[in-house]
Amino acid sequence: MIVLALVVVTALGFDFTNGFHDTGNAMATSIATGALKPRVAVALSAVLNLVGAFLSVEVALTVTNAVVTIQDSSGAPREDLLVDGGAALLLIVLAGLIGGIAWNLLTWLLGLPSSSSHALFGGLIGAAIAGLGMSGVNWNGDGTKLDGVVGKVILPALMSPVIAAVVAGVGTWLIYKITTGVAQRYAETGFRWGQIGTASLVSLAHGTNDAQKTMGVITLALIATGQWTDLENIPLWVKVACAVAIAAGTWLGGWRIIRTLGKGLVEIDSPQGMAAEASSATVILASSHLGFALSTTHVATGSILGTGLGRPGAEVRWGIAGRMVLAWLITLPAAAVVGGVMWWVGHLLGSTVGPIAIFVILVALAGYMWLRAQRAPVHADNVNNDWDEGQVPAPAAAGGVAA
Amino acid sequence: MIDNLGFALEGAWKVLAFGLLLGAGLPMVYAVGIRALAWGAGGEAEVDHGRPHPAGRLVAVVCFAVVLAAVALGITIIVASGFGKEVSFEHVVPTLVDKR
Repeated sequence: MIVLALVVVTALGFDFTNGFHDTGNAMATSIATGALKPRVAVALSAVLNLVGAFLSVEVALTVTNAVVTIQDSSGAPREDLLVDGGAALLLIVLAGLIGGIAWNLLTWLLGLPSSSSHALFGGLIGAAIAGLGMSGVNWNGDGTKLDGVVGKVILPALMSPVIAAVVAGVGTWLIYKITTGVAQRYAETGFRWGQIGTASLVSLAHGTNDAQKTMGVITLALIATGQWTDLENIPLWVKVACAVAIAAGTWLGGWRIIRTLGKGLVEIDSPQGMAAEASSATVILASSHLGFALSTTHVATGSILGTGLGRPGAEVRWGIAGRMVLAWLITLPAAAVVGGVMWWVGHLLGSTVGPIAIFVILVALAGYMWLRAQRAPVHADNVNNDWDEGQVPAPAAAGGVAA
Repeated sequence: MIDNLGFALEGAWKVLAFGLLLGAGLPMVYAVGIRALAWGAGGEAEVDHGRPHPAGRLVAVVCFAVVLAAVALGITIIVASGFGKEVSFEHVVPTLVDKR
């Protein structure tokens, strides 16, 4: 029971980091161009994430099946993991979640927009390898559909940023072709509204996509411990808790990442912002409708990059782009290592002390990284400072809440 | 591995096609709308700020309406699929039907 509570709390914690890690995907461009004030932008995004989390009621119970083999295809947990009140399954899930959170926090500290889904999947893969061996991982699926680590994680990660970049690049090029010479007062207002609209769509899509994953994980833990039996539905309180957690995270605003995406990668103007978000929204919605799993972060970053390529004369900071790609490559293995080590530590210490111990480790790690971030905070008041001041700009005169 | 690559490429080109059509096409229509809105109005150097051409306003309204309608339709499709429905174009006008 204590362990189940830890899993639920940790899952909601992951959902929260998922929220602030991804605020920038939707809102970085609107904040950078001044279409929305920073705090208004994150509040809008939070509300839309909340709505989005409730909108899609498609059962997300089989979310872990994409990468690990702890459930069968109906969503029921594997029988052999259920002895002793599901302790084996809970430990894998808990260790996996901790791996995901640890990596999310580290990349946030460094201001790198890495994929939260990859962090979660990486953590689960590492914990499953540690707990079940190589057979605990669904590497390739069964060859009948796009599945497994290769099909659901690696291939989409390679393709989706390219697709998004092409779409955004073409969109940007067309927009500038059409509106060159149009009086600024029309272009500026028009594209600001366009930007706000498209960014809102991305926030909504994010809520429908990402909150589902945590809902699935929590429900799986509830089923494993016998607290829930329905494989078709998710308990209402889980839905509400996940929606609130992701919205709260979004509202906090991952300013460090917003800054990198909005100011670091490309200097963005309103028409580019609109093209980027339109591309992100369409690619995310089209692919989730076609069952093509992808990371919101990869799409958003690809779009912003594409909009820099599509505008004649715009500058793309390739050094920053390179750092991001590097972070993407490391995300899955790094989270897997943390997940694996956590499982191992938890397993050594026994079925009650173990989970509590690794939870304490997580809290300590999170606290440490938060303190490190406070030393050089990025917040609503300095998020838009000139990129020449560096990733972490000089402190602004007025102190805001840092995140 | 090869199977997965095939499935992924199949999905990818569809997403790319949708993306170009809607993700780049709709912003283009929107841009045309903005251009139309400013039709006949001078640039920043102009002092008297002459009123834009009324026909431009009409074109702009049509463009914005097309974009809004497409977005509304898109949201409906997504929300509907969450509730076990899908949008059918069988009778040209989109209607909500039960998922097959």
